Amino acid sequence: MPWYSADPVTRAASAALSTLDDVAHVRRGWRWGNPRPHTWPEQGAVVPPPPTDLGWARAEPVRSIRWLIQRTLLLPFTEAMVHPKVEGREWVRELKRPVIFAANHSSHADTSLILHSLTDSARDRTVVAAAADYWFKRPLLGNIVSLFLNTFPFSRTGGAQAQLHSSSQLLKSGWNLVLFPEGSRSLDGRIQEFKPGVGFLAKETGTPVVPMHIQGAFQVMPRHQQVPLPGPIRVRIGKPMSPAKAEGSRDFTARVEKAVRDLSAKEKQSDLQGTWIERWRASRPRDLRYES
Amino acid sequence: MPRPGAVIEVDRNTPPVLFHFGEGIRLEKMPLGSRIVYPPDPLEPIAHPERAIKRALAKPLEDDPLKSLLRKGMKLTIAFDDLSLPLPPMAAPDVRQLVMEEVIDMAAEAGIDDLHIIAALGLHRRMTDDELRHIVGDRIFSTFHPDRLYQHDGEDPENNVYVGKTSAGEEVTLNRRAAESDLVIYVNLTLVPMDGGHKSMSTGLATYRGIRAHHNVKTLLGSRSYMNPPDSALHHSCIRQGQLIEDTVRVFHIETTVNNHAFPAIANFMQKRETDWTANDQAMFLATKQMTDIAPPAFKRNVFHAMRAPYGLTAVNAGQVDAVHDKTLDAVNKQIAVRVEGQTDIVTIGVPYLGPYNVNAPMNPVLVVCMGAGYLFNFYRSKPVLRKGGVLILTHPCRYEFDAVQHPSYIDFYDEVLADTKDPGEIEKRYELRFAEDPWFRQLYRKSHAYHGAHPFYAWYWAAHAMEHAGDIILVGGDREVVHRLGFKCATTLEDAFEMAEQTVGRYPSVTHLRTPPIMLCEVE
Repeated sequence: MPWYSADPVTRAASAALSTLDDVAHVRRGWRWGNPRPHTWPEQGAVVPPPPTDLGWARAEPVRSIRWLIQRTLLLPFTEAMVHPKVEGREWVRELKRPVIFAANHSSHADTSLILHSLTDSARDRTVVAAAADYWFKRPLLGNIVSLFLNTFPFSRTGGAQAQLHSSSQLLKSGWNLVLFPEGSRSLDGRIQEFKPGVGFLAKETGTPVVPMHIQGAFQVMPRHQQVPLPGPIRVRIGKPMSPAKAEGSRDFTARVEKAVRDLSAKEKQSDLQGTWIERWRASRPRDLRYES
Repeated sequence: MPRPGAVIEVDRNTPPVLFHFGEGIRLEKMPLGSRIVYPPDPLEPIAHPERAIKRALAKPLEDDPLKSLLRKGMKLTIAFDDLSLPLPPMAAPDVRQLVMEEVIDMAAEAGIDDLHIIAALGLHRRMTDDELRHIVGDRIFSTFHPDRLYQHDGEDPENNVYVGKTSAGEEVTLNRRAAESDLVIYVNLTLVPMDGGHKSMSTGLATYRGIRAHHNVKTLLGSRSYMNPPDSALHHSCIRQGQLIEDTVRVFHIETTVNNHAFPAIANFMQKRETDWTANDQAMFLATKQMTDIAPPAFKRNVFHAMRAPYGLTAVNAGQVDAVHDKTLDAVNKQIAVRVEGQTDIVTIGVPYLGPYNVNAPMNPVLVVCMGAGYLFNFYRSKPVLRKGGVLILTHPCRYEFDAVQHPSYIDFYDEVLADTKDPGEIEKRYELRFAEDPWFRQLYRKSHAYHGAHPFYAWYWAAHAMEHAGDIILVGGDREVVHRLGFKCATTLEDAFEMAEQTVGRYPSVTHLRTPPIMLCEVE
């Protein structure tokens, strides 16, 4: 008798019996306690979990929770500890399209400082590339950091294509991206050579790069120090840079690196930070048009 | 239609009247037959301030449109008034910010690279970054600070120049950047008739050498009052200095005025006349009174100093200094003038928590004198409300309380100078120069947020006219030792003060209470 012709009670009973059969079958099928027979081939690497961009961290209600966490904990704490002096905020006040923030990296405090220096509207649309092999080695830690800082796992060891895929998806979705092109925190506070990923990503996606320089973070929280100390911090934001048509990605990376290094100079750099007229125009409030 | 100021005679039905008492408030029943003077209601503000500013810049008074004065390659300087006004600080956006944004837009359009913005402090303290940001707004601050937006330093030997001497022998000095500019645009906010006009440049961008020419006892005693520029020797001196400055550098003046809406909605009862109080106002008064009675001083101070006034722009004029300032004074007088018939034997005034020189700081005893006997007493035209030899009664807790960052020279002034003499002339002769040239006070003025070493002297001189005019000055509720150091009498209650005053002015004196703030200017007939 076909199963669909039976009445509901019979069908339910049948399904339950079938499940019990399957469970018993599986239970008998593997003998976990026995040693692995030597005739079997060597156990292979565990299949890695499929890469995730932690989309949950950018969906509601997590965004609202993060908004609350950042405004009640992260930003006040950063302000109280180091009272960062931000120069060039006008360049990120009215972003018309997503950008890549490329900053020097000498401390775990860098991400908080960058987020602190952005305007509210820019911060709420910013994701942070965090080293997959460091932050996401332990899923719980990775998820907590994502909740706080909106990070996503960025492979430092994979190929350019792997990096490009997740990052470009985020850029195309309208998210700004924070990248530390040095790859890891500086050992001595000095700027290291930039990896070509940032230039590659900018070139492939046609996204402008905003160079940023953080001064003082190494003194506040260097490597191997778990707790930040109060200290003076200056965050300098440069004028957005776009790769020229004929410019290769490595050349563009070198240009970004030079811009970040130049921003570390004591005096303001008008070619990098713009003339006051450029900065003034960049910070012009967006015209709001209301339907009548 | 806003009501003009009013004088109410106290009868049995008159409610008690609010007295400001530093960072506190009191309700006091005035004697029958006494008068209470109320300021006019706030004027209607201009509905579209940006449009009014654009119009003023396009059609200035006795000057060319600002746009035609701006050209590429020129050296342009914008100077603006510091945080000593308006009081309390204005809720954002400050009108100076709105004006400066328009001016900067024009300068950007003209392609002027060399643009500096200077806070015209005179000998006031340097503002903190947050205070500066509050005045100029976030956009100007982040674009120009710190290399192109900075504060005048009256003690910088490199960056000030000697301009010359006036016909009356007053020395004139000026900020070097302003003196060397092709055009200076001065953005002013006038709250009281004393401000603005030639005084803006001649004090705001000057050094001690230039300011001492009119900030002295002789000039201030000759100013009856300095809230009425035509009768003020202080202003005559400023005009002479200002004319010399105008001969040296091209100045385009932009002056703004605001109404007297000095208190935010939560403190509406302070703005309203007691005869208009509702149950809500009474409840708010009671809540505020309880809070100020029991809260620690630092907490009260934070609450009061966090208040931002919802001032509304009432006029904006631009162009040649005299033409502009005449219009400005008309607008100010329209807002604050009150007609009062005749003088009285006793005048009572509640001294509030805030004066021009203690923004974000406690009002120290010297500033209580400056505010009560200096500014509030001098809010008159033609003659004071108090008759010569009458008694001025002020209410303020007046404790030995100084802000060591903002007022270091005030501490020495109180401890050393006032212990010796209270006579302004004597003080000026024997002590002023020493304080003004003290290297430590100079250092704190230049690098910290301290008032200039000479500033407590000026605060004291402001009160010189009241001290000379009044037969007695009584401070109600003050610390006895402190009040005696100031040279005044101390009373515990207002009733006691009236009793004490009778010894000077006789029995059954006439009494007038000036219910201020909001600010008013008594036109005594």
